[in-house]
Amino acid sequence: MAQVEKKAGLLRRTSSSKKPLKEKVVLMYDEIFAKDDPAKSNPRFWDELFLMKVNLEYLEGKLESLDGDEVIKMKDNINSLFHHCVQALSEEHQIKVVNALQTLCALFRGVHQKNKSASGFDIINMLMGFDKAELRMKDLMESLDSLLCGDGSESLKSLCLKLLLCLVTVTDNISQNTILEYVMINSIFEAILQILSDVSSRGQHGYDAVVLLALLVNYRKYESVNPYIVKLSIVDDESTLDGMGMVVHKALTEYNRQYKEKEEENQGGFFSTLTSMVGSMFIADAEEKLSVQTNEAILLALYEAVHLNRNFITVLAQSHPEIDVAVTPTTPVPTTPTTPLGTTPPSMDMMNSPELPLDPNLQTSNLLITFLKYSSIVMQDTKDEHRLNSARLCLIILTCIAEDQYADAFLHDDNMNFRVNLHRMPMRHRKKAADKNIPSRPLVCAVLDLMVEFIVTHMMKDFPMDLYMRCVQIIHKLICYQKKCRVRLHYTWTDLWSALINLLKFLLSNETTLLAKHNIFHLALQVVNLFNMFITYGDTFLPTPSSYDELYYEIIRMHQVFDNLHCMVLRVSTNAGQWKEPASKVTHALVNVRAIINHFNPKIESYAAVNHISQLSEDQVLEVVRSNYDTLTLKLQDGLDQFERYSEQPKEAAFFKELVRSISLNVRKNVSLNTLSQDILLKEFSSIS
Amino acid sequence: MGDTELELSPAQLEDLQKSPSVSSCASTTSSFSLPSSPSSGQRPPSSSSPSASEGLPASNPPLDVISEGVGELTLVIDPEVAKRACQEVLQKVKQLKGEGEVSEAETKHGLVNGTAAHADPADKEGGVAQPAKIHEEEEELHPGTVKSARRRQKNNSSKQSWLLRLFESKLFDISMAISYLYNSKEPGVQAYIGNRLFSFRNEDVDFYLPQLLNMYIHMDEDVGDAIKPYVVHRCRQSISFSLQCAWLLGAYSSDMHISTQRHSRGTKLRKVILSDELKPSSQRARREMPQPPPPPPPACPVPAHLSEHGLSPSKRTHQRSKSDATVSISLGSNLKRTASNPKVENSQDEELSSSSDSLEYEAGTPVRLTPQREFIKSLMGIGKRLATLPTKEQKTQRLISELSLLNHKLPARVWLPTAAFDHHVVRVPHTQAVVLNSKDKAPYLIYVEVLECENFETSNVPVRIPETRIRSTRSVENLPDCGITLDQRASSFSIVPNYDNDDEAWSVDDIGELQVELPEIHTNSCDNISQFSVDSITSQESKEPVFIAAGDIRRRLSEQLAHTPTTFKKDPEDPSAVALKEPWEEKVRRIREGSPYGHLPNWRLLSVIVKCGDDLRQELLAFQVLKQLQSIWEQERVPLWIKPYKILVISSDSGMIEPVVNAVSIHQVKKQSQLSLLDYFLQEHGNYTTEAFLTAQRNFVRSCAGYSLICYLLQVKDRHNGNILLDAEGHIIHIDFGFILSSSPRNLGFETSAFKLTTEFVDVMGGLDGDMFNYYKMLMLQGLIAARKHMEKVVQIVEIMQQGSHLPCFHGSSTIRNLKERFHMSLTEEQLQALVEQMVDGSMRSITTKLYDGFQYFTNGIM
Repeated sequence: MAQVEKKAGLLRRTSSSKKPLKEKVVLMYDEIFAKDDPAKSNPRFWDELFLMKVNLEYLEGKLESLDGDEVIKMKDNINSLFHHCVQALSEEHQIKVVNALQTLCALFRGVHQKNKSASGFDIINMLMGFDKAELRMKDLMESLDSLLCGDGSESLKSLCLKLLLCLVTVTDNISQNTILEYVMINSIFEAILQILSDVSSRGQHGYDAVVLLALLVNYRKYESVNPYIVKLSIVDDESTLDGMGMVVHKALTEYNRQYKEKEEENQGGFFSTLTSMVGSMFIADAEEKLSVQTNEAILLALYEAVHLNRNFITVLAQSHPEIDVAVTPTTPVPTTPTTPLGTTPPSMDMMNSPELPLDPNLQTSNLLITFLKYSSIVMQDTKDEHRLNSARLCLIILTCIAEDQYADAFLHDDNMNFRVNLHRMPMRHRKKAADKNIPSRPLVCAVLDLMVEFIVTHMMKDFPMDLYMRCVQIIHKLICYQKKCRVRLHYTWTDLWSALINLLKFLLSNETTLLAKHNIFHLALQVVNLFNMFITYGDTFLPTPSSYDELYYEIIRMHQVFDNLHCMVLRVSTNAGQWKEPASKVTHALVNVRAIINHFNPKIESYAAVNHISQLSEDQVLEVVRSNYDTLTLKLQDGLDQFERYSEQPKEAAFFKELVRSISLNVRKNVSLNTLSQDILLKEFSSIS
Repeated sequence: MGDTELELSPAQLEDLQKSPSVSSCASTTSSFSLPSSPSSGQRPPSSSSPSASEGLPASNPPLDVISEGVGELTLVIDPEVAKRACQEVLQKVKQLKGEGEVSEAETKHGLVNGTAAHADPADKEGGVAQPAKIHEEEEELHPGTVKSARRRQKNNSSKQSWLLRLFESKLFDISMAISYLYNSKEPGVQAYIGNRLFSFRNEDVDFYLPQLLNMYIHMDEDVGDAIKPYVVHRCRQSISFSLQCAWLLGAYSSDMHISTQRHSRGTKLRKVILSDELKPSSQRARREMPQPPPPPPPACPVPAHLSEHGLSPSKRTHQRSKSDATVSISLGSNLKRTASNPKVENSQDEELSSSSDSLEYEAGTPVRLTPQREFIKSLMGIGKRLATLPTKEQKTQRLISELSLLNHKLPARVWLPTAAFDHHVVRVPHTQAVVLNSKDKAPYLIYVEVLECENFETSNVPVRIPETRIRSTRSVENLPDCGITLDQRASSFSIVPNYDNDDEAWSVDDIGELQVELPEIHTNSCDNISQFSVDSITSQESKEPVFIAAGDIRRRLSEQLAHTPTTFKKDPEDPSAVALKEPWEEKVRRIREGSPYGHLPNWRLLSVIVKCGDDLRQELLAFQVLKQLQSIWEQERVPLWIKPYKILVISSDSGMIEPVVNAVSIHQVKKQSQLSLLDYFLQEHGNYTTEAFLTAQRNFVRSCAGYSLICYLLQVKDRHNGNILLDAEGHIIHIDFGFILSSSPRNLGFETSAFKLTTEFVDVMGGLDGDMFNYYKMLMLQGLIAARKHMEKVVQIVEIMQQGSHLPCFHGSSTIRNLKERFHMSLTEEQLQALVEQMVDGSMRSITTKLYDGFQYFTNGIM
């Protein structure tokens, strides 16, 4: 937007004077792009250049328009410009620093836009010259580091981060950005940490710092040792980790809040429903309105923190007051114009006050709760690719959490009870649960609820098989923990059981369409094995004896589904074909479920016959179940309580590559907007100097 | 021969002991002044204003408390001079006695006084500091007392000698000292006792600290002047004593009118203490109390620290010490105090003079009292904020989150004043904290992990261990990896192809750990399932299918649930019930397992109730009385059982209580178990004939007898079942002494009976005709006789606290008289026995007890 305005301003000026009026700085740029050394004619050329206000469009445009031969001729001057930019960074004159930073931004971008296909080494050569590259980049990184860590202007720090973000995202694929090799060698990790650990700087620059860190961690992640990964994995300073958590927490909360606002707008009153009905006649999908753009960058940062740094797990449970209530920022941060959510650093005023505010209406919350709520929103709709990716990432993060012992410990902590209002998709056959009635329970209940919710709401033609697998695995991991540590969770397990049985039902009824794309037997096996966990190890983690009875009741009640599944897998496994083996695994897994059905069904029938009842009540069935346990023999299956640990490489590598690419594009798009509108900043400094 | 003369017969002693209160004392002791003239070479008595004959006030006005404080700071005390002063005091004593027997008396004195005085030098600090007080005192007292005392001394030398003999005898204890200090109107006696305080053991004097300070605040100048040197001396010695004094001074000054309060002695002394002027003087600290290496100045450049931290293990200590410094300055609510600007933030505390402040920071040592004060302040702050929340659930959640924030600032040089040993607080297991039942206030119970140490003032503060201990070891493993220099790293590109591989390595570790931990956790319960896992592994190899009976699984499930010890069900309206029911040992074990500090041998768990908005001064008074009675009964070998729980008064509306462990209220017992008390006993301890039951029953009877007497003597009211606890051994414990002596709830005239004795209680004792019930009555009689014998010791505690107090328990003019009457000094033992019978009878039949329980049930839902 700012760009457009600026252009308009330029246009107006040109049209009024008819003659293209060139700024001084543009003339100086032209001099650089001439073949001669500009300093030859004017020894103070470089000094003067950085006193001029930068014209980014022109500079970038000029760089873009160069063709190959010209570039080579221009190389010395561009090298020189780069060199002087770096030198200017250590100037006392802040205006020079600002201009140098912006010029560098333009240089990086201009050179890359022009040379999309060129190899990284050519670009380095063009900007700095091979022989000097190492030295130049070292100087640059050191300057940036000292600017970020110093006591200087906050806007300057913000600009430094923008420059770094700009540098990191110039290529679509971050790993092809060879310049970053120097950023690896000359680490700015400590500067980022410092920003995060300090309350006030975290508030202003935390968002950029976290996104920058997330991106840097993903540079050639699988091919080499990335020092940022190493360093991030060992950070144990609590204030820093907490700062990182706060930034993520704030961003996710902001998203949740915006979503809620939109949702309320959509359902507000009769009139609005009417208008939205009318509106929906024109807009194809009314749901569209509800989709607030997701913020994958911040989610990626959360993932990296959870995955790499185990100390970060404690931060997840760190309580904060809920910031759901809109805390309107009174004065917007000058350097950041309003942009669509997902990229705007959220206003951090909340973070500036370390004391918990005193509002009885505020529920205490923590990062994990906020994340669960965020996930519940994101998972509602997985149709578009961004949201699908976000949902997948959410599930991956949950997988990491479910595997972590410490996280499991606080998830199951009986003393840490919370009400978590998950967002539930409005569906025809169920009413929206009243928010107030959610009991306060250990956090793991919310995780299970979320999984159940996902299972129930995504049985659709375009079946997200991958997400279902993750979902079932998360449940499995949680149950394994409960079994190991004998945690008896008071959870309404019947919800989970019926959701899982319905999932099996869906798989059966859509067998043909689904088999074309997915290995449904793998999912079926996982689901059946969950039941096997309950059947064989239920005594270690079920809350009451009657819950074990209810499990049997549920299986018996829905025996048709299991019967059908058995028929299906038997049929497939007897036929030769690619599904033979996976199907036969399911057949074996079904042994106990079938034993239960075959054992109790005749008993129930005879009970009904003896007592002349056509329809047995639940209590009567339970009675039959209770009295007939002893004659039932089950087979103990192997490895029910073992699971494959999550590992990013190699399975998820492709996903993360793509994700980082899309994040890079997004960040680049928005960072340019921000860097260009530095008028206020310039004013700030020009008034000082 | 001299010895026999010197030894006072018990009868005489008792006489003397009582004498102060029998009002004859004024005349007897009026001229007693001898030991108060400890003239030193520096300042002979003759030089001091001879005109001041009677009126001390005439000479006193120029002595301003604050200026004294300043003077103390500048005063350089030479131990030699001090020693001489001590000896001169003794000399004076000798001279004044004038008789031949003096020599013995002196040796005696030397012994009594000496044991403590010479023990002190071992504790170096004390040895030097003590004489300083004598100096001060001299300066303050000389003008008037010595002269006037001298003049009067001749007339009453015979009586004095009696008193002196008492004072010097072995039997003269702190209780008597306090009594004389309070009752004597004679400055000389007061000054002598003020001096004498130094010779008592610290613990003994500490018990009477509330009395001492209350006298200091509310009684005339002489008493104050006599007490002050001792208090100042102790403050110099100990941070915890300083704070204790400051808190009590604040609390007991609060009843004064606001205008007088501001200028009162108590307020001034409090300011002096809090301004930390009473810290050990710097040279002494250097010479005798080697400080731990001072942490680097808080204003150290942060970038340097950050860029280094986490890179090499050696830097960790640096980082820690930095946070140590910050904690000590910024602990608590003022989280925004950063290391870079401690001064700015600190200036908000108007009590700290800025000059001493900056000095502290320049020296690099944190202010002595600040960490603890901030710690207490933040605990109180939490209580205040909780009170604004409407539901228990919200309060609990908020409490947990507030405490988790507090955890960030720990470990620090802070401690729980209610504990019996020196320690540093290292962690608050925040999820264990519970909000207690209270209608509008929000008292809460926290558990606190501490590390025992030799001396919390000088021992090093423990190093912080991150919450996820397992992980930190992993981080350490990786340290060398990241310690490599830039060049090395550059060259090592692509040597290790995939960092993530490493992840797999530890995930195995983690699983291993889980499996190792399992048997430890659940050794007591059946191990079938771990056997199962073994089975499942073996079955894998043999390929033989393993069959299990569904019935077994179901049975195990119900058995395991039945075998778990009786716990209370979770009730969101009463979150503390579950927490308190859990046996203490089990809780300690559980918390220890989950704590990163749990592996340390000096790890301990403490608990404390934080009360905010409640006046605990009455509780403190009750605690003192209970403690006194307990020691009386112990001394007289009466097996009555009571449990005084420690009280810490922080201000007139806040404080801390040491919770009684392993005890739940009878209300909670009844509500949760839905049983009668007797049935509950049977359930918890076993059948009538079992030893466990009999022991529990005996405990119950002894505690009942103890508390019945307490309730009668102190007139404890508001005795509903929520205020009576039952511990795991069967003892009952009364809590909440909000209504004692002259006050009763809402003055409804309920609870007219002497104490609470319900039929349920009698049932547990085995009914009205049982032996145990008779035992109960006999115990009460013995207890009452024993208490009567030492009535003075009990009454004295209450009486002194009445000074200047507006506490409801002192309402009316007859509080003390009525209290004394309840000891029934005039009755014979037979009459006493009849009285006990009558009281028990009355309480049993008392309709008001029942009525009051009903009233409580209807108004507060207490069963």
